[in-house]
Amino acid sequence: MPAVEECVTRLSDLVDDRPQDGVFRVSRAIFDDPEIFELEMRHIFEGGWVFLGLAAQIADKGDFFTTTIGRVPVLITRDTDGELHGLVNSCPHKGARVAQRLHGNAKLHVCPYHNWSFDSAGRNRAVKAARAGCYAPAFDQDSHDLPRLPAFASYRGFLFGSLTADVPTLPEFLGEAAKLLDMVVDQSEDGVELVPGGVNFAFNANWKLQLENCSDAYHFTATHPSYIRILERRKTAPDKTTARSVWENSQAWSEAAQGVQGGSYSFDHGHVLNWGLIGVSDALPLHESADALAARHGEAKRDWMFNMRNLTIFPNLQIAENASSQLRIIRPVAADRTEMQTWCIAPRGESATARRQRIRQYEDFFNPSGMATPDDTICYENCQRGFASRVEPWLQGYARGMTATRAGGNLFSDSGEFQPARSVLADSQLCDETLYHSYYREWARRMARSLAP
Amino acid sequence: MTRHPAHDEASDLLNREALFLDRSEWDAWLALYCEDAVFWMPAWRDEITPTEDPDRELSLIYYQGRRNLEDRVWRIRSGFSTASTPRPRTVHLVTNVLTHEADEGCCAVTASFCTHLYDRRGERTHAFFGRYEYRLRREAEDLRIARKKILLLNDTIPAVVDIYSI
Repeated sequence: MPAVEECVTRLSDLVDDRPQDGVFRVSRAIFDDPEIFELEMRHIFEGGWVFLGLAAQIADKGDFFTTTIGRVPVLITRDTDGELHGLVNSCPHKGARVAQRLHGNAKLHVCPYHNWSFDSAGRNRAVKAARAGCYAPAFDQDSHDLPRLPAFASYRGFLFGSLTADVPTLPEFLGEAAKLLDMVVDQSEDGVELVPGGVNFAFNANWKLQLENCSDAYHFTATHPSYIRILERRKTAPDKTTARSVWENSQAWSEAAQGVQGGSYSFDHGHVLNWGLIGVSDALPLHESADALAARHGEAKRDWMFNMRNLTIFPNLQIAENASSQLRIIRPVAADRTEMQTWCIAPRGESATARRQRIRQYEDFFNPSGMATPDDTICYENCQRGFASRVEPWLQGYARGMTATRAGGNLFSDSGEFQPARSVLADSQLCDETLYHSYYREWARRMARSLAP
Repeated sequence: MTRHPAHDEASDLLNREALFLDRSEWDAWLALYCEDAVFWMPAWRDEITPTEDPDRELSLIYYQGRRNLEDRVWRIRSGFSTASTPRPRTVHLVTNVLTHEADEGCCAVTASFCTHLYDRRGERTHAFFGRYEYRLRREAEDLRIARKKILLLNDTIPAVVDIYSI
């Protein structure tokens, strides 16, 4: 082989996907190679739909929040007519970020550098001292508005944007996974909201470790024994000051449990769900709505709302409904650096008691100051260290469930009225890893724009 | 505002708590707290506003009752938490201590803190900094902590923040 070709990374060197041979492997290089990170930015985060936030975050006219798509700052507004806008948050004049607050309310956004101003729909309202500026006519032919995101859409209040217009429609992109967002939104007739107070944390590891961990049933009893034993302590010595947990009566993680305890579903475009049977538990704050939800949506869908559900909408949105209810945005910073933006997502209008219970359960499990998430993030950082090795570049973490995965759905997806591309039914110990294949098939599809097969 | 008659005792208590945390002297640390103690670290609504109502807004930590702190200590000691083992080295610097009389015979304290943390395993050095607000109550002979609020100012958490880092 000519030496020059040895330097060129090929997709088949990164993802080894041979279902006919029972093989699916991922190379360590995709987690720590800066050039691959650069391609991910271009083709995944800046080359397709990403989640931005909830419309509920900008409920009133003039409300806005700022975020990023890949490395690009964006500004999401509700204008004075109530319309939503997705804008590039960069002044056309010198490029400065126009809005600098995390969120707020403004009829007018004024760039602090040279005072160009923009209304809440992003339209330029003034170029400072325009008449005295001796501009050539060509300047007036340019739009001075904040550029609109080439694609921007809402699905039931979940806002998505893209820096390229070359994307499927949002309903096509979400596909059947949209029905899992419905299960979140439909927990209240008034939809969902973010509990005030965001929590951010960062780790020295690749963003895909977070992507996988949300879907990882295999790690729970291994990574979180301290949390599990604290639940046991609380059960044997009850105390009204401690938070209850959905897992206190669940068999979903118990190695002694028999029969189907959950499983996984994969969808087109890289979206996945893993889930566990919980049932209508009074340890969940949703319990107060159990009858109303059954009346409104039927018992089967009501029961699904009570199940443990970890949903990923590729590449950056995760909604984890297990110990409590969390909305996460994954923000890759470098191949070995990731920032997480996290919130407690909750049904609007729930009782004060239920809200308090939800918040306490959230803090207990999900916070970087809690008793579970830190054990995950430290494991990510340990993985990142280990990825440096190329002695055996292929990872072996994608093989569980290989003989259990099936095309299409099963009885449980039928009862939830959604049609996954693939499914696995699992007892408490199977801990499927084939759901990650969906991530890496979408990843490979996007990266194929730059990498040879 | 008049300094509390027990100012020196209160100031010593804060320094003692810092030392117990830095030395992992957990039983001594827990003994500083009243059984119904509130231990609270708010989150932030935005760049400048911390959350204020723990029942309607998220906190980083909100415990009512020492039992919850006992759970945290149990976890740190258990060896079952990889994030806690080996624990990072810390030193708390507690300063700007002010005391004044509060209702129900309590001593109210405000102070500033900086906890320097060195995590050998993670090759990470970090400084958590912020302000403390205490309510101290006399139980039997000693002042004990009835309430501690930790306002962490740099709240982008580097992977882990535990009770010994704040």
